[in-house]
Amino acid sequence: MKRFFIKYCLLVVLGATAFSSCKKTFDLLPQAQLDASQMYRNVYDADAAIVGLYGKFTSLAERYIVLNELRGDMLEYTDNADEYLRQISTHSVTAENPYANPRPFYELIVNCNDVLKNFNSMHDAKKMKEAEFQERYSDVLFLRSFLYLQLGIHYGSVPYVTDALATLDDVNNESKFPKLSFNVLLDSLINVSERATYKDEYASSSTLAVTVDGYPTQKWFVNKKVVLADLNLWKGNYVQAASYYRQVMETGTVGTLNGSYYSMYKVGWDSNGDIDHYITYSRAGDASTLVTNSQWRIMFELPTTTEGFRREWVWAIPFDNKFKPENPFVKLFSNIGGSYLVKPSKNATDMWDNEQQKSASAATGTPGIPYDARGQLSWKNINGQPVVMKFLYNYINNNTNLPINVLQKDSKWFLFRQTQLHMRFAEAANRVGRYRLAWGLLNSGIAGAYPAPTSDVTLYHNTLNDSYPFNFDARNSGSAGVPYYRSDWYRNIGIRSRANLVDQAVPATDSLNQIGNTLARFITCCFKKK
Amino acid sequence: MHIRSSKWLTTALVFLIFSSGCKKWEDHLNITDPNITKTVFQQISENPDLSKFTQYVVSTGYDKVLNSTKNYTVFAPTNAAMAAVGVDVTGDTAKLNKFISNHLANQVYNTLNVSGTVRVKMLNGKYINMFGKTMEDANITKADILASNGVVQILDKALPYLPNIWEAVLTNTSIPAKQKAYLLSLYTNVFDATNAIQTGVNPVTGVPIYQAGTDSVATNQFWLNVHDVRNESNQYTLFVLSDAAWDAEITKLKPYFATSTVDSTTKLCSWEVVKDLAVAGVYTPSGAAADSIYSKFNTNTPIEKASIAQTIKTSNGMIYIMNKVNNLAKYKIKPFYIEAENYRYTSIDRRGNTYFRDRFNPITNKDFTDVLVTGHGVTGYNMNYQIKNVSSVKYRAYWVALNDFQTTTFSQKLGIGSAASTILPLTVVSPNIYTEVLLGEFTFTNYQSFLDLFLVANGTTQISCDYFRLEPVVP
Repeated sequence: MKRFFIKYCLLVVLGATAFSSCKKTFDLLPQAQLDASQMYRNVYDADAAIVGLYGKFTSLAERYIVLNELRGDMLEYTDNADEYLRQISTHSVTAENPYANPRPFYELIVNCNDVLKNFNSMHDAKKMKEAEFQERYSDVLFLRSFLYLQLGIHYGSVPYVTDALATLDDVNNESKFPKLSFNVLLDSLINVSERATYKDEYASSSTLAVTVDGYPTQKWFVNKKVVLADLNLWKGNYVQAASYYRQVMETGTVGTLNGSYYSMYKVGWDSNGDIDHYITYSRAGDASTLVTNSQWRIMFELPTTTEGFRREWVWAIPFDNKFKPENPFVKLFSNIGGSYLVKPSKNATDMWDNEQQKSASAATGTPGIPYDARGQLSWKNINGQPVVMKFLYNYINNNTNLPINVLQKDSKWFLFRQTQLHMRFAEAANRVGRYRLAWGLLNSGIAGAYPAPTSDVTLYHNTLNDSYPFNFDARNSGSAGVPYYRSDWYRNIGIRSRANLVDQAVPATDSLNQIGNTLARFITCCFKKK
Repeated sequence: MHIRSSKWLTTALVFLIFSSGCKKWEDHLNITDPNITKTVFQQISENPDLSKFTQYVVSTGYDKVLNSTKNYTVFAPTNAAMAAVGVDVTGDTAKLNKFISNHLANQVYNTLNVSGTVRVKMLNGKYINMFGKTMEDANITKADILASNGVVQILDKALPYLPNIWEAVLTNTSIPAKQKAYLLSLYTNVFDATNAIQTGVNPVTGVPIYQAGTDSVATNQFWLNVHDVRNESNQYTLFVLSDAAWDAEITKLKPYFATSTVDSTTKLCSWEVVKDLAVAGVYTPSGAAADSIYSKFNTNTPIEKASIAQTIKTSNGMIYIMNKVNNLAKYKIKPFYIEAENYRYTSIDRRGNTYFRDRFNPITNKDFTDVLVTGHGVTGYNMNYQIKNVSSVKYRAYWVALNDFQTTTFSQKLGIGSAASTILPLTVVSPNIYTEVLLGEFTFTNYQSFLDLFLVANGTTQISCDYFRLEPVVP
């Protein structure tokens, strides 16, 4: 009886307070935490929201690598790997496998939806300028599209959620969010992404294009045109996809005619090994002189502030001991200071072994070195164990094979590189009958694919009689040519040439499949897709 | 309402358990096995069938050890087993000490936890193999008797204190004289400051001066270079040849290790014979006519069961006394395989003209590394290699030299002993040959502890070679 009395008393008191002066008594804002009402007040709050999204995005790095590379048979689990990694590798995944659970993707998607909703409110309340709003809104939109594309690639049919208030448990509720087939999902994503008015990188004046902890932020953010191009490529809209890739390939084609103009995202030479990233031997023909402290390997080690990094990478996010989240790659790949869970697969090493390099000169023998040197620069034996090195070059010193500082686990999450851009453009071009152009981009460049003709000089170093986006001009008058000229693409050397590999021979009867096979091999022939 | 009543029920239950069952819980948790309160010594002393063993444990003072708080395993032989132990052991304090401590181990070895063969280290430093419920030849008749400080295993046989292989070679009278004499001749003194007495310091160099005779220890080349058969923790097998067999083996090898004097030839051959006669692990004859035993020098020694004259069991393996071993000279004399890119030095520095090339061999389907020196401009340019322990025998020389840089041939030479040597002629290197090419053969009349080899250019033309190989021709 006493108990009931107390309860009633409490209720009465509560009721009284609620009716009387609720606002003053209880509506205090927390002192150490942000309240929703203090968020989204101006463009800086919007920036903070975006950085928050990308911070959460980086925690997907391990999952992204495992799903793409381990599942794609480019990596193999080691004896240290747990049951779940083994399942991914052997394609026998059980329901409780955390790597196969799409929940973290959806958590971020719902966060994106929430941010988008709030950006709209800010826009309506005129808390952001129109241009600032468009930049930020489409960034989040495209990040979400990228996440959905990944979900579609890995899971096939997935629920499509654009509602900010959805709880994660609703995602499994088919009646609320029916699963879309990959094709329908692509349609929806292309539709919503095409409508975005801003598709460029952040303007250099933007408050999000700054330098934080020594890292320029520009390349942290998703490249919107690459996402659009990927969506169209998966969908089969090859010309549309190629157009978007072409736009990104032409990113450097502005301003002064300099190295950046001719080589950024163009797979072009620069006569500076820290920038153009060739496979080079300091004494051609002597296999023991492979250049490792510059050239190809260095692209994985370069600081993000360097010109070489800027011209090579389209999308890469740093991991640094100075900020969270912690670098997952040391744990995944390193046998020093890490757990060494995955190693290069035989499939991957065999692909490198079966390549053929160009002969250095007749005097030192033909054919050339009988393997792809990128293999030696992508993985190596440390303490008798094969270790994937690409993600570890900021952690393990390439010369000593020892950690630079065992407690400072720095790295970068490499998401998109200029070679991927060219491969995918070539894929699209190949599908719409531009075999020779595709072959050139893959092998010895545009100029290599359209060499000096015997009579008709229309196609000399160019494809200008073709329509956009397949019209390239790589003409080069040579040093003695009159008039002297250098066209935009004259430095393009082709992906295989850059790796010092011989050109792929193409039988005249089956260009589509042959180039397609080469592409397929190249697309997978790397721990980070080329 | 339903929730509330179940809560009450739980509380009531907990109360019930604690109020009523208290005593039973205590009983349950108490140690009731009376064995656990006794030490291993008490366990064996209370067992009348172990009275003899207990008596010796007390007389050697190990009863104090076995009453202490460390963990022990006592492998206690029954009185019947102890009756078989001779007075020569029980009447000699030193021997008795070793014998008793041969039954005591410093850890708990429970038969249930032992999988496979476990080498049990006894208090005297010897190891005895425990396999299931056996200790070497003895059976554990009553296993795993628990005690407060260990476990007691009762054996039907005593565990004799055995010498190790080296001790047996020194003391066992059945060991044939000649091989034993040779093994003893391999003693050398090496510097060891552990027990040295310092008498001063060299004022010039600051190096300590030690009293003569204290600064070195005797060690044996056989321990260092073959196997340290004194090591108790590992197991080895040593084959000792009867004097006749020893002489026969040496005579067989003499032509292949010819030197300027008879003595040094004999010494060299003795080493060649003895170095393959010890192997790691315990060998037991398989029953086949002859077993192939491979030494650490990868030499095959055929062991015929019928030729085993005597078997001596030791604490760290076996000694077999052999009436003969049919070891063939061709097993002993090894071929030489030299990668051309691993040269020691070149006649003149031409690194700028030297290419270490990675190549693909379509015949072996493997990648290989070779060396190409082109445009060096030095007449007779050469690269040096060195091999060791070259027998007095005929050798055939081969190389794989790849000429994939020109359509014409060129020639080069393998110089034996010196770059100017004409023992082997200039040999033509034809384009794109990936197989071995015979360069010729030559015979050494004397054994050489080391031999220089040279890859020599013909005039100023290039040198190209993957590897070369010397194959001994032994009947």
